[in-house]
Amino acid sequence: MQSQCIFSIQTPVGPPVEIIRHTFPSQSAKPIKRVSLVAGLHGDELEGLYICHRLMQALKKLEDKNPSALKGEVNIYPAVNPQALETGTRLWPFFSVDINRTFGENNTPSLTADTAKALFGDIKSHSDLVVDFHASNLQLMELPQIRIIQNFEKTLVPFAQLCNVDLIWVHPHAEIFESTLGYNLNQARVPTLVIETGICLRIHQNYCDQIVLGILNLLRRTGTLDLKEPSIEVTPARLVQPEYVAMIQANHAGLFIQQAEIGQALNQGDKIGDLIDPVEGQVLEEIFSPCSGLLFTLREYPLTGKGAPLARIATEEPA
Amino acid sequence: MKEKVLSIPTPFGASLDLYKNTWGKSGDTLSIVSGLQGDHLNGIYLNSCLSQFLDSVVEGVNPNYTLKGRVISFPVVNLNAIRSGSKLWPYDGMDMDLAFPGNPQGETSEALASAILTHTADSYWGFILQSAPPHYEDAPHIQTLKLDGRIKNLSRDLQIETVRKRKESAKVNLLQQWHSHDTVAVTLSSGSPRTINLPQCEILFQGIIHFMVAEKILKDRRKIKSEAPIKSRFYEENDEVPVFASTAGMFMKEVKAGINVQAGQKIGEIRDIYSGKRREELLAPAEGFLVTLRQYPIVYEKEPIATILTTKKSWKEYLPWSG
Repeated sequence: MQSQCIFSIQTPVGPPVEIIRHTFPSQSAKPIKRVSLVAGLHGDELEGLYICHRLMQALKKLEDKNPSALKGEVNIYPAVNPQALETGTRLWPFFSVDINRTFGENNTPSLTADTAKALFGDIKSHSDLVVDFHASNLQLMELPQIRIIQNFEKTLVPFAQLCNVDLIWVHPHAEIFESTLGYNLNQARVPTLVIETGICLRIHQNYCDQIVLGILNLLRRTGTLDLKEPSIEVTPARLVQPEYVAMIQANHAGLFIQQAEIGQALNQGDKIGDLIDPVEGQVLEEIFSPCSGLLFTLREYPLTGKGAPLARIATEEPA
Repeated sequence: MKEKVLSIPTPFGASLDLYKNTWGKSGDTLSIVSGLQGDHLNGIYLNSCLSQFLDSVVEGVNPNYTLKGRVISFPVVNLNAIRSGSKLWPYDGMDMDLAFPGNPQGETSEALASAILTHTADSYWGFILQSAPPHYEDAPHIQTLKLDGRIKNLSRDLQIETVRKRKESAKVNLLQQWHSHDTVAVTLSSGSPRTINLPQCEILFQGIIHFMVAEKILKDRRKIKSEAPIKSRFYEENDEVPVFASTAGMFMKEVKAGINVQAGQKIGEIRDIYSGKRREELLAPAEGFLVTLRQYPIVYEKEPIATILTTKKSWKEYLPWSG
């Protein structure tokens, strides 16, 4: 494993802020494929860090025992927003900026925009395929899934099917995506998968195990790793088009008490939870599933505003 | 004229209410929005001054002016951020100015954004009042996405000297949304977050009053001779020269935002926090108008410390008899 600091800035006190890339170089003269794995754009999303850790362990072992298996090159960027990670916050704390909203064209000179530009440039020049790991925000728990903007569906779905996720959600484009790393890499013709799994500030080992297997499978099936045995059993993901996703939103503000489990196969009318009034002691709303399907998003943070998402269901009929 | 346009229930009782001020019933509408960020207090204060002024006009307390057009104002948008004393609402950590066009059925920020756009989308003119980004101070100036004839007229009517064209960026901000609705819209930026700068607010206040008179939203009944108009200077994106820190430490400024600097003029220096020794002297790389200056002293390496707007002189200015 070769490590390189791709971006460094002095801080007023203490150590510098550094972004590190670890490279597992190809043993072939020309790498079959260069795959990059990126984690920690949001400092409170830790699942990706653990997945990268597990993959680095596996790749280090491979370098020791079977180096010729590395036909392609694997680049791992395990912690790309160091200061946000140190404080456990989504945003880069000194600037209160979401670095995953600073990619692409930006005319305002700022350290966050420069950092994003340097990171983007390095990933783009070192990758034929990228996986960008995210956990959900503070509010929602997500089943392991890959989200794909409709325009990129044709290129990305075949790769996504190799990643051992439960769900591939193809969704319409929205302008807010235009400042994200994933969108800009895809626009630059570097296929990039955005994985969402779990919830922020936590590590769900079972989800991470599942994705580690999926990424190893992706590396194997793209020829990046030449591994004959053992073959990895990957369950095909459910491909969900936009009209097959039902979102349930709160009609009241209150505390959401969940009564279903993420990953549950719901029938129409199954209870998902209650929305209660914490002050007056009333149940404001009983939440039932409007359809049958897979519960792939569930509200974990009870404090709920009106209009807030409570659940998403991958439906069997158009929602 | 103060009207509740949206009421959002909260988990603990009292609802969160969005208010709109309206003056006048007919004519082209001017919309003025402030408080998209909870700590942009200059804009909120300026909007409240305008409310007081327009109230006095429509109530007949101010005999100098008559209202002829229509003005809408939203003094506060990001209500929760203001209540929590921060730029963003900590609950969702969302930049309110990335929430447009919003969604009436969505979460709080989306619902607020949707309401703002719904109530202002048919305005002929739009002003967003804001402060500099965190850690900086802006001299009062206009920011625009276009420099067409309508914007140039608006800028001249505002009597604000500095007009800065910005590159189109996030399509999900209010200014961009207004442009897509063909509203003649600009951002008026001044000061620092978390502070109120009264002289700067006064410059913008007088500018907006001048604009309303020039565009016949207001009639000035006094027969006073107008002063010589301020000539606006229009700056393109490539007229901007940022000054970067090449080291980290404590920045001690030696100039103020809003002055003209000469090439080579000292802007300030960065000192080592432990030893107090000077680590870097920051000099203006070009002559021009210092529109933005670092306010918060702690700086990282590679951060922009100042922005200078430079102008290419017209050929007339090189003539020996030109002043």
